[in-house]
Amino acid sequence: MKPSPFTYHAPESIAEATALLAELGDDAKALAGGQSLVPMLSLRLAAFEHLVDLNRVAGLNAIERVNGHLRLGATVRQATAEHSAEVKSSVPLLARALPHIGHFQIRNRGTVGGSIAHADPASELPAVALALDAVIEAAGPGGTRRIAASDFFVSTWETALNDGEILSAVEFPVWSGRCGFAVEELTRRHGDFAIVGTAVGVQVDGDAVTKATIALFGVGATPLRASEAEAALMAGADVAEVARAATAGLTPSDDVHASGAYRTQVAAVMVRRALTKAIQEARA
Amino acid sequence: MAATTGPNTVSAGRYVGQAVKRLEDPRLLSGHGRYVDDVQLPGMLHVAFVRSSVARGTIVSIDTAAALALPGVHAVYTGADLNPRVGMFWHTMMGPPPELGGQTPYAPLTPLAGDDVRFVGDPIAVVIADNRYIAEDAADLVEVEIDAQQAIVGWETALDTDQRVHPGMASNVGQEMPATEVPEVEALFAGAPHVFTRRFAQCRATNVPMEPRGIIVHFDQYAGDMQIWAATQSASEWKATASRLTGVAEHRVKVVANDVGGGFGQKMMMTRDEAAVVMAAHLFGEAPIKWTEDRRESLMTANQGREEICDVTFAVTDDGVLLGAKVVFWEDIGAYPSAASSIAGMAGAVFPGPYKFPVVLPSGSTLYTNTVGKAAYRGPWMIETVAREQMMDHIAYELGIDPIEIRRRNVIHADDLPYTTCTTMVYESVTPSETMEQALEMLDVAAFRAMQAEAREQGRLLGMGVSIYIEPSAVAFGILSSDQAIMRMDNSGKVIVAMSTGNHGQSLETTIPQIVAEHLGCNIEDVLLVQGNTESSPTGPGTGGSRSAVVAGGAAMTAALKLKDKIVQIAAHMLEASPDDMEVNESVVSVKGTPAKALPFAMIAPIAYQMPEMLPQGMEMGLEVTARFQPAGQYTWSNATHVCTVEIDPETGMTKILRYIVSEDCGRMVNPMVVEGQIAGGVVQGIGGVLFENMIYDDDGNPLCTTFLDYLIPTAPEVPDIEVGHIETLAPGLTGFKGMGEGGAIAAPPCVANAIHDALRHLGIHPTTFPLGPSQVLQLLNDAKG
Repeated sequence: MKPSPFTYHAPESIAEATALLAELGDDAKALAGGQSLVPMLSLRLAAFEHLVDLNRVAGLNAIERVNGHLRLGATVRQATAEHSAEVKSSVPLLARALPHIGHFQIRNRGTVGGSIAHADPASELPAVALALDAVIEAAGPGGTRRIAASDFFVSTWETALNDGEILSAVEFPVWSGRCGFAVEELTRRHGDFAIVGTAVGVQVDGDAVTKATIALFGVGATPLRASEAEAALMAGADVAEVARAATAGLTPSDDVHASGAYRTQVAAVMVRRALTKAIQEARA
Repeated sequence: MAATTGPNTVSAGRYVGQAVKRLEDPRLLSGHGRYVDDVQLPGMLHVAFVRSSVARGTIVSIDTAAALALPGVHAVYTGADLNPRVGMFWHTMMGPPPELGGQTPYAPLTPLAGDDVRFVGDPIAVVIADNRYIAEDAADLVEVEIDAQQAIVGWETALDTDQRVHPGMASNVGQEMPATEVPEVEALFAGAPHVFTRRFAQCRATNVPMEPRGIIVHFDQYAGDMQIWAATQSASEWKATASRLTGVAEHRVKVVANDVGGGFGQKMMMTRDEAAVVMAAHLFGEAPIKWTEDRRESLMTANQGREEICDVTFAVTDDGVLLGAKVVFWEDIGAYPSAASSIAGMAGAVFPGPYKFPVVLPSGSTLYTNTVGKAAYRGPWMIETVAREQMMDHIAYELGIDPIEIRRRNVIHADDLPYTTCTTMVYESVTPSETMEQALEMLDVAAFRAMQAEAREQGRLLGMGVSIYIEPSAVAFGILSSDQAIMRMDNSGKVIVAMSTGNHGQSLETTIPQIVAEHLGCNIEDVLLVQGNTESSPTGPGTGGSRSAVVAGGAAMTAALKLKDKIVQIAAHMLEASPDDMEVNESVVSVKGTPAKALPFAMIAPIAYQMPEMLPQGMEMGLEVTARFQPAGQYTWSNATHVCTVEIDPETGMTKILRYIVSEDCGRMVNPMVVEGQIAGGVVQGIGGVLFENMIYDDDGNPLCTTFLDYLIPTAPEVPDIEVGHIETLAPGLTGFKGMGEGGAIAAPPCVANAIHDALRHLGIHPTTFPLGPSQVLQLLNDAKG
């Protein structure tokens, strides 16, 4: 379990990092917290001739409010975000998702941006980004561009980032009004990747649900939004019905832990439980 | 973790019976243990293996040129280089193979693959390089062309196919214990009021020692000596095996085992990979070479256990009284099992366990498959308890009898002792009934049943399970029959006891000094256990099979008493008193009732070594004794009852263990904290085998669980507090100790399974097959709904 040889680069600016990545192309990979990449290298499931470490790049680790969004720089550690009062009050769904990621030792190193850029379909943060319609800022040699979360996740470990681009920040919209949020997932053990999970948010006005978001993870090649189910919820459907609608037509794959059919069945349970909690919170 | 209750019927001594804190912990818990990978030697090189990526196929070609051309690579050896150089490859415990005059039908053992590969991970070549990075780079450069064939996966396939895992063998059956037809038994079954049959299956698990396998071998071709540092349960066995493999005379092989991070049976006998490193070092001859197995290799290639099927047929009366059992064991032993032998003989012999069976007829077969070979794994014969204890519940529900009640009607009671089972096992001091009642009392069955009924009203699923077993500890045959202690008190009055134990987590560095200090009459800090070094420790079987407390403990106690006797004689002579009037306390020998007439060990020892004129006439100088101990019987029986409660989420199939209770009787406890630690460790592995661990192969023989993302072992949040009650009934013989290292792992799986069964049975669900993880349980719930 030793990685194959690679050259290590430690740029100190975004310009330097993106220039390097553009020049090295497919042979290079950006390294942030390393909690997914380094094990994959050690197992020789992945090999790159160059690693471009973003940890010394200036200005990537801020958490700040910008235009109704909470902006997290690419190298903000998951543990930092988890314990941030600003995250807790502005983006409760993110705060609730973070403790589900691995173990605290992993969150001490792992980054919010790295997890989203890694785009593992069973992980929490891509689903949170999708649920909240987050905006991903990509920095490349030619400058930055903004990508909607709904356009960002292409397939397993595959995103809309181009060669030479890094994820430089993620901006999460801040919800207002009477809101409730919940993350529900099924793991075999504490800290495992979820077999299946959901991240939901609702906004209520009296008994009416005026805004709803439901994202599922562990059910396909990318996190998925259940838009029809969201509409049904806002139209007054009960949560069990919404949960069934959210999971109808899913075709998750089998693995050693569970069949696709199991995932579909349990996904509905997770959605129902999450929505029940979120609505309860919003109405409280 | 353990809340201790129960009567201590045996009074604790100054050390034996006390929860003495572990002497090895300051070193181990601060991260300063010295495992094989911590050993750094001048000029040491590193090994990586080239392994097969297919489960079955013919090797067409191996091209090592690119690997050899990589800077930093010293050698690449294939089967053609190493296999023909092997002298003999067999294990002392099992004896030689038939062609060398023995009786054990080994798999055809070669260190590396020869003409063909027989499982994914089969070692094909050994690379020796400056460091592990280069070794792995070079291993990637070795080009192996294999003509793949359809793998033989699963014991039933192995039984049916005309293809062979080991070409040239007549069948895929490794060993067979044929079923016996006894007319009286057939008549008994034909006339029995009820006959029930079930098939119980355990899924494959792997031992997962925290320290995977590892070995450093240095063959100094100029001196003709071989030195080995190994992660082994028996340094003595590694010495013998390395000598047989290489032809280096055994007294020129030195094996050192420093700290060893677990084994659970996997490190009892040298495996092919380690043998390949020994052979490679022997051929290389220049420098020490180190192989540290990484976790992926460990999960993919280290021997595995538990894939056993058990067909049981019970004949019972209307009242649930057992009339007889027929038991058929099927074992998937993979391609290269480490022990080579079937568990059927042992499992059949101990099948009656805690119950009064009039007759049990066991039979069984082992099947070779194109998967990793079978290891001994903590209670290797445990399928008997797993099947029997689940079967008791199945029968109880069939007859409408409470599972506790049916056990009470069949269990062996104190007034049955001594009891000889129908399989000729003799129990003199066991307490299956007493431990069951203690464990049930700790639970409060009535309170649980009320809670269960109330929960069921709310649609929640609660259940409780019971399992009882009698553990055949310290199995004594062949090399396992004895252990020796070489004890010496040095000039300053301190004691070194050298033993052939292979402590790898059993706390022997504490418990052996406890026994010695107790019986020699010294302070525990004045005793040091030396083991894991073949130049100072005696020949013996190492540590495994729940033997060390019983057999090594017996040897340590005997040696301490012998040494004490000599010390007392010297002191009595000096003090002009009779040896019978002397007493020993805290390293001081004194005349009873006259404490002023006393000599400390620190004054007696120099006399023994330096002043022959002051010794009793004719006494040999020095303070050195040896004692070899053989337990009284072939087995030293301990026993326990496990009780647990669970809650199952009806919507996800997830099982949560609410309480876990163990009442055990391991005779005189050397150290209750160590006993409870052994129970906890075993129970966690047992829980793992039902709820989490499942080593899966696909139809082509590809292992699907090659990291800890896929192979799930329970972690702290998944494990309940384990509540322990003790009953101490002395074992027959000198020490009163009974072994108990495996029991936790043996009784836990059926206990958890029975609790799940109890939670689901009102829905018509009667599980028989492990694992019972969330997806399996939800499937059962779905099927029950139709």
